[in-house]
Amino acid sequence: MRSLPRDLHPVAWWLWAVGLAAAASLTTNPLILLMIIGVVGVVVAARRSDHPWAKSFRFYVWLGVAAVFLRVLFRVVLGGGYPGTVLLDLPEIPLPDVVQGISLLGPLTRESLLSGLYDGLRLAAIIICVGAANSLANPKRLLRSLPAALYELGTALVVAVTVLPQFTQSIQRVRAAQALRAGETGRVRRLRRYLVPVLEDTFERSLALAAGMDTRGYGRAGTATRAERRTTGALMIGGLCGVVVGVYALLDQTAPRILAGPMLAVGLLVALAGLVVSGRRVERTRYRPDRWRAPEIAVAALGLTAGVIGWWVNSEQIAIAYPDLSVMPQVSLAALVAVALGALAALVSPPPARSAR
Amino acid sequence: MTTLLDQRAVPLALRSRVVLVIASLAGLLMLCWPLLVQVPADGGGRTDPPFLFLLLLPLVIAVVIAEISEGGMDSRVLAILGVLSAINALMRLLSAGTAGVELVFFLLILSGRVFGAGFGFVLGVSSLFASALLTAGVGPWLPFQMMCAAWIGMGAGLLPRRVTGRWEIAMLAAYGVVAAYAFGLLMNLSGWPFLLGIAVPGHEGNLSYVAGAPLLDNLQTFAVYTLLTSTSSFDTGRAITTAIALVVLGPSVLTTLRRASRRAVVAVS
Repeated sequence: MRSLPRDLHPVAWWLWAVGLAAAASLTTNPLILLMIIGVVGVVVAARRSDHPWAKSFRFYVWLGVAAVFLRVLFRVVLGGGYPGTVLLDLPEIPLPDVVQGISLLGPLTRESLLSGLYDGLRLAAIIICVGAANSLANPKRLLRSLPAALYELGTALVVAVTVLPQFTQSIQRVRAAQALRAGETGRVRRLRRYLVPVLEDTFERSLALAAGMDTRGYGRAGTATRAERRTTGALMIGGLCGVVVGVYALLDQTAPRILAGPMLAVGLLVALAGLVVSGRRVERTRYRPDRWRAPEIAVAALGLTAGVIGWWVNSEQIAIAYPDLSVMPQVSLAALVAVALGALAALVSPPPARSAR
Repeated sequence: MTTLLDQRAVPLALRSRVVLVIASLAGLLMLCWPLLVQVPADGGGRTDPPFLFLLLLPLVIAVVIAEISEGGMDSRVLAILGVLSAINALMRLLSAGTAGVELVFFLLILSGRVFGAGFGFVLGVSSLFASALLTAGVGPWLPFQMMCAAWIGMGAGLLPRRVTGRWEIAMLAAYGVVAAYAFGLLMNLSGWPFLLGIAVPGHEGNLSYVAGAPLLDNLQTFAVYTLLTSTSSFDTGRAITTAIALVVLGPSVLTTLRRASRRAVVAVS
């Protein structure tokens, strides 16, 4: 199936990445984690566009490398006394009493190194997954697909993103004007002389922009009735209360379990319902909305399925998900399938649109 | 007089305040979770960092924003919100490279002061979101940063209104120092178990977080960790730059912001 080059819906890429990141967060198996990182890299290489944000992937990879490195370094410097096979017998340097029994270096064990490496890899995999979404999804179009309830925030952000180039203009104008004028030359004074006109200029522009937005019907109050507003409020407050109780029960493992998972899920659903209801008041059409077509659904479903399988491996195949530090980690068929599903995204998504040069 | 005008930028109804309080509680729980974890007495079972929170926190923030902007925001306020987010994002971009010198909070605090708590909250969220979008820097840390920045903006709006003139600047600068340190502390607290891992039962005496250990022990370990890694270096730099920027540029920027707010808000009513 050859499809025409086009940009995939940004939300589809984010869902895919979140699914893979979830799968990565549920295991410390280095083989699975490395496979996930590899798959993400392949998909990014195959499907990223030539827009500026597409180049950010490299930065996330380096960040991931740094996370692994930091984790291992911390293990070496602070991890003395970890039980296991001693690899390197470093001298132990006790710190003064103020820092309660913490000592630097000390015998370095294989288990200590490995557990640092595994945990670091997990963090790196999550960071790299998010980085993949960053470089695959178009941020401007992502803003346009914010839920309707966040319409105001979306508008403000669109203003923010588009207004940036105007700053350079403002700054140039102010600089030119001040070069012609005598005045204070002290550092602080000059900065102040500089900042105030630039700020004034941008506010001037923003009010002009607001007037333009007014005539086009932005920022209008909704048409929600009192009863509707009350429903929204009840849903949001109820949902948030559920989330608070759920989070607390999740952390306090001595609390009844019914309060943890189920309560959290109910709270989440109610809060989401509140968002949907509050979004209904926004009656606006979108210019050329991004559509959900088969490839979008397929990419999102692949990522989320990988996440679900990752969760299953985490709860059913504990030895695979969290391998013992003393033996070679193994991989199960389910884990392989999850990773392979993630890689399929490169095949089902259309090639990115190349901008004309 | 000014209070009435200022609060109107983003009015906070009683219901919005209730939502804000509950959401802040949820956010605080998710930020401070390492100190709250209680493990059953019989031990056993591994504790993993709750990666779930990385998805949960954005939802909580979304609910608050939806609630605050419910009923529609005025287009002038929207435009100013956009412009201020852009400036904040730009300042964050420019100051990111230099260690410890962070200018994000400076304008955030001043805007929260002038436009009120609701506006400050939304601006904190939108500034960090905009800067993350611009640099393609959306990461797992973003929701936590958004929540903390929102609190800083909101707190600036809640400071006593009556203080004016020099004392106002002094108060804002003091608030800036506290906010800079608190931001560093909370971000460290959220990142600590992720970055250092969770200590294995029976093996203590390093800087890692011990799940279910007495609150005081964990706090002590955390204090050492944060002191070593950032409080004494990055956070101090951030606090100093924020305070200096507030003292040096605060008065003139406050005047500019007040003028803009008067034009934006009065014209509506």
